[in-house]
Amino acid sequence: MRTTKALLTLLLALCVQVGFAQSRTVKGTVKGPGGEPIPGASVIEKGTKNGTASDANGMYSISVSSGDAVLVISALGFETQERKAGDGNVDVFMRESSEQLSEVVVTGQGVGVSRKRISTTVSTIDSRELKQSPAMQVDQLIQSKLPNAQIKLSSGQPGTASIIRSRGPVSANTNTTPVIMIDGVRVDNLNSNAELSIATGGAQSSAIADIPMEDIDRIEYIPGGAATTLYGADAANGVLQIFTKRGKAGKASVYFESQVGQMVGTADFLRWKQTADIIFQPGWVQNYRLGFSGGTDAFNYSFAGSLYQDDGFNSVNEQVRRNFRTTVAARVSNRLRYSASLAYSNSEYTRDYNANTSFARYGNLEGGQNGNLDSLSDDEIQALIDDYEAQGEVTDITERVNRFNVANNFTYDVSDNMKLSFDFGLDSRVSKQQELGTNAMLISKGAVADGTTDQGYIEVFNRNFLVLSSNLNLTRQDEIGDFSFVSTVGGQVFRSNDYQTFITASNVPDGSQSINNSADQNAEDFYNTVTSYGIFLAENVGWKDKLFLDFGLRFDGNSTFGEEIGLIPLIKVGGSYVLSDEKFFKDMVSSDIVNLFKIRANYGEATIFPTAFANDRTFAANAYNGLGTFTFNNPGNPDLQSEIAKTTEFGVDLGLFKRLTASFTYYKTVTEGALFTPPQAPSSGQLAQEKNVGEIENTGYEIALNAVLISNQKNRLSARFSYNFNDNIVTSSGGAPEFAVGGFTFLGSFVKEGQPLGYLRGAKVVEDGNGGYEVERNSFLGNTFAPTFGTFGIDYVWNNKLSFFLNGDYQFGGQAVNVDDVLRYFGGVNDADRFPQEVLDAGITSFFDLAGYWVEDANYIKVRTIGAEYNFGSLLDSRIKNLRLGFTVQNPFNWTNASFDPDATGSGIAAQNGFAGGGFAFGTESAPRIYLTTLRVNL
Amino acid sequence: MKNLISRISVLAASALVIVGCEAVDPSDVVNPNLSEAALIGQPNSADAWGSGLERQMALVSQETHHIAEIVSDNYVNTQTFFNQFLDGLSIDYQDADLNAQAFDIARLREMANYGLNEVLPNDPNGDAENTSTFQFYLGVAHMYSAMYYRALPGSEAGPLLSRAQHLDAAIAAFNASNAASANVGALIGVARCQYLKGDATAAEAAADAAIAADAGGGHVSYINFDAQNGPTNTIQDALYDRGSFDDLQPLPTLDFLDPKYAFISAIEDSKIALLKIEEAHLIKAEARSAAGDDPGAIAVMTDVINLVATRPTRDINDNVEQRTQRNEGSRPDSTDITVNGRAGLVLYRGGAPVTIPSISGTSYTAGDLAGLTGDGLLTALYHMRQEIFIGEGIRSMDMGITFVMSENELLLNSNVSASDVEADIPSFYSGIDVDAITYDPAARTCTVDNDINAIIVANKTSNYVCPFH
Repeated sequence: MRTTKALLTLLLALCVQVGFAQSRTVKGTVKGPGGEPIPGASVIEKGTKNGTASDANGMYSISVSSGDAVLVISALGFETQERKAGDGNVDVFMRESSEQLSEVVVTGQGVGVSRKRISTTVSTIDSRELKQSPAMQVDQLIQSKLPNAQIKLSSGQPGTASIIRSRGPVSANTNTTPVIMIDGVRVDNLNSNAELSIATGGAQSSAIADIPMEDIDRIEYIPGGAATTLYGADAANGVLQIFTKRGKAGKASVYFESQVGQMVGTADFLRWKQTADIIFQPGWVQNYRLGFSGGTDAFNYSFAGSLYQDDGFNSVNEQVRRNFRTTVAARVSNRLRYSASLAYSNSEYTRDYNANTSFARYGNLEGGQNGNLDSLSDDEIQALIDDYEAQGEVTDITERVNRFNVANNFTYDVSDNMKLSFDFGLDSRVSKQQELGTNAMLISKGAVADGTTDQGYIEVFNRNFLVLSSNLNLTRQDEIGDFSFVSTVGGQVFRSNDYQTFITASNVPDGSQSINNSADQNAEDFYNTVTSYGIFLAENVGWKDKLFLDFGLRFDGNSTFGEEIGLIPLIKVGGSYVLSDEKFFKDMVSSDIVNLFKIRANYGEATIFPTAFANDRTFAANAYNGLGTFTFNNPGNPDLQSEIAKTTEFGVDLGLFKRLTASFTYYKTVTEGALFTPPQAPSSGQLAQEKNVGEIENTGYEIALNAVLISNQKNRLSARFSYNFNDNIVTSSGGAPEFAVGGFTFLGSFVKEGQPLGYLRGAKVVEDGNGGYEVERNSFLGNTFAPTFGTFGIDYVWNNKLSFFLNGDYQFGGQAVNVDDVLRYFGGVNDADRFPQEVLDAGITSFFDLAGYWVEDANYIKVRTIGAEYNFGSLLDSRIKNLRLGFTVQNPFNWTNASFDPDATGSGIAAQNGFAGGGFAFGTESAPRIYLTTLRVNL
Repeated sequence: MKNLISRISVLAASALVIVGCEAVDPSDVVNPNLSEAALIGQPNSADAWGSGLERQMALVSQETHHIAEIVSDNYVNTQTFFNQFLDGLSIDYQDADLNAQAFDIARLREMANYGLNEVLPNDPNGDAENTSTFQFYLGVAHMYSAMYYRALPGSEAGPLLSRAQHLDAAIAAFNASNAASANVGALIGVARCQYLKGDATAAEAAADAAIAADAGGGHVSYINFDAQNGPTNTIQDALYDRGSFDDLQPLPTLDFLDPKYAFISAIEDSKIALLKIEEAHLIKAEARSAAGDDPGAIAVMTDVINLVATRPTRDINDNVEQRTQRNEGSRPDSTDITVNGRAGLVLYRGGAPVTIPSISGTSYTAGDLAGLTGDGLLTALYHMRQEIFIGEGIRSMDMGITFVMSENELLLNSNVSASDVEADIPSFYSGIDVDAITYDPAARTCTVDNDINAIIVANKTSNYVCPFH
């Protein structure tokens, strides 16, 4: 069946048919390095004022004086090219500029500002890189592509969470996931299980996994610090802005893309290869996209839709995704423009039990429940295959997500130099998780006796999330003499409503999917509502287009603040100086050697707001033997407010030999009033209360290198490499005792003054000085955040047609716990040489005391994507404008010195959106290896 | 025309901004949980708060009874699920169980005080019954503070109160409870507190008062659990519900009394006696003994034996008990095995259900007491206390063992110094495994290695044990 499906898909992809285009005097097409048309490129006859611009399809035509005339072709973000007019047909492939100072970036500024003017770093992923990636979710998409961010996928189960971090954890109260915005509108970025999620083990569900992915044009990312000041609420972890495509004036263009391939379980990290034999099964992956766009000067539109399905890498997992996005843009009047994007995504996942449940197939095999698999005979392995297959057949855990994402933008040109911009939109995400715990499933797991009929259950979790947001900015640009000014005043407001219910039905007969068919039902709910608002002023002053100063002031308010707290002022100040534009610099150093030398420095404050309702004093009513009872609940904190991350950074951007760009940034971020929820003195009898008592310091540096190693008419080879170092420490706990933020009793992730956030704490065996051993309890065992990490990539293009690319990342210096081997220890099949024999001989055999031996260095180097593609260019008399055939492998190569996958360590997150350092490798599969072929046809 | 469109557009945008602000009115965030206003001033709020106190008492039990039994000689923990440190008298301020226990006792006290000071005065229907309930649990909180700690704050991060101060506070609260509404449990509480203070005269008087007030002659104040909604009975879990895990194993001399708590139904857990009238009699007997009145003491102990005989028993199917799961047959498990030369102390559980006392049981008969005098009588009295109070968290108190405040109290309370969190274990237990037994399955004999009752009496003049001496 799977083979038939794949063949049909391939056939369909190859059978796509096409439409047309035409030409004049000197004519041609301006294309990007990947063959995509570049609209709006400037084409000028050199030495004259004679010029034109390419249309929506990248096509141009120009009358020139003679065949010897030289055309100068330029476009934003690309190196300027020169070509002879020749016989009148000139196609131009543009190369990306290695300087990109003229690139306009939006994120962090409130409005679009050229990169040259800003003192902070903004990483971008352009449409070409995005097109190369076969990723189906945003975190996978940006993985290994951003120089200063690390993305670790914590499980191979579909729709699960990741750890996204850049400059280290600034908060003990939440994870490091950045704010995510699509076309200026906030979206749900919950990157952990929700408060009431179904607990099926260590795999954490994620809202990032189902962000609509169609027609993403560009992604900008800022890692925190001054760049995020204007965003206020929650931006201390950085901001990831997704911008979607817009239709272009001109004839309609259409594309169709099909991807077909196979997904296989990653066996690189397994304790026993037989685990793969027993439960892994290759599954087909297929994805079809269709898009079109077009319009006039006054109105344009675009549509893109996709249908994705995979069979997973085992018999339980499957995912289906249906996405579409529509955008429109209209010139309402000479001064008013309107644009909007509407996206919908529908995702369906089926998951297996994982990690912290005795039902977990993978966890049980790797946790030694079936003993040492190496010692089993073929017949015994076959029996396990049959048994686990039977378990898989009665496993029924599903998640269904429906998501609408709407962004509207009004831009009003108040005058030639003043613009009013208003964005508003929403993200509505409705998810339902359901676990059908049938008697048959329980029997298959050995949890109840054969013949049991009254233990079946259904658990249903519903989460209804809505975030509404709006931004209003007024920007004025002035030039007075040598000075230029970009002045902005604006305000933002957003409100999120998170409503969850969890229903358990017990004694459900097998066959029912309704909770109605049960002996009893229990329900609970959870609310989380936040309103955040802020106003800001920002001023960017330029002098001779070389020296820039940046000021910003924001007042931030939030419903999570205590009653004693009003608006919080946040400031930013920075400057940048493009020394290489100075005459003295050019005189001193040839621009052929140093083509860019920019220094920058800034200070900025960004926040993370408290947990909703943690400010209020509350009481709880509990059922107790048929009585209504009251007790204390949250103690309340009228002084609760955002924790404020204050960042000082400076950096240098260098361009050498017009081939190499290097960026160095040093930062120091001090989180003041860090939100801790430490225990109260036991004598208070009160629950732990969130307070602004801590101080956390992150210092580090970021180095990003981009090099064009070969660049000639036929070949272009470029490479990139980044190196990031972060040192994190809790400099003050405000007198609070250490407290757990994840993990287990015998070995947890803790917050303690003088230690990194979320450090691993447990017993450690040390020599007692008398030739023996003793156990030091509550010792430092490791740091879950690796201090060193980075990304790398290679991109080779031949003749503007064939390209090879590779993306990867690495980390060094972090630690994690092999929890699977703790379970193997209980089964008597733990890893050989895990413990020194003399320690065991000394009578230290309790797993509590041996905890330290399960902590391992978690270094890795991983190649995330490797691929090749061929652009056939225009075919069939240009009826096909471009045809691209690609092949990619995701997760093809992994190296680690640990006995587990350092990525799949996400279990142990204690609360919704809670602190997530990872660090616990526990019974969940790694991200699978995926082989995909892509065929894309542009008409 | 274009101008008109522009103007209309600006107006429309402005309207949208205004509507947008209205739609996201920041003041519209409502906490769905209960505020103080949902409680204070509401009719019958004191009743609900009183039920909350009763529930909190069950939470105190969850953090108290099993660990107090593990640290004593009554039970040894053979698994890893419950506390792993206390068995070896390893009492450590970093032990999370001790933090949880102190927290729940403090929460009981704070809830009682809040009930008296805030809830009751504002409840139009509040009455003397409510006062009695609040004062009773205030008394229990102070009494537990004294039973389990040599010093503990009496307020949030407040100064340390000595055992005597806690006991005085408990006595005052219990008396106030009884004054508001007759409360035999409170009077037994006064007797226990006077006993712990070492005031034999006052203790005997309090015991007499309790006995006199107990018209039925069999008063028990219970801790109630809710098997469905929680809190559930943790020590029942340890003794019985975890089935084949066989977590807590009794001293073989107490085998016939185990499990005092066992499964009843999916909606009901076994109750635990918080204060029962047997204690008043036993205090009275010890006061007589301390006064040199051995016949008087024997008379009272005989009353206790008669009272115990009236207490109910339960037939419990304990087939899955393996004594123990980890090492089956490593502990006496049949009726033909003698312990310390005595037969009948160990039950066979593999067959018919075993019959176990639900409230009180003892191996003593009136005949066993005849002729006992002095320390021999006192040893028998402590043995009887051990049997009657098994599973009620009292044995550790009799052994003179106290817990310590936790690391959190040390770090967050400036009144606590490092020396305050050092364990203070009576020297007469050094080098002794209080749970040790010698069992010879072939000879069908078992010996308890250390007679802790004899050790207690041998050290009766120490400040740790036998308060009347």
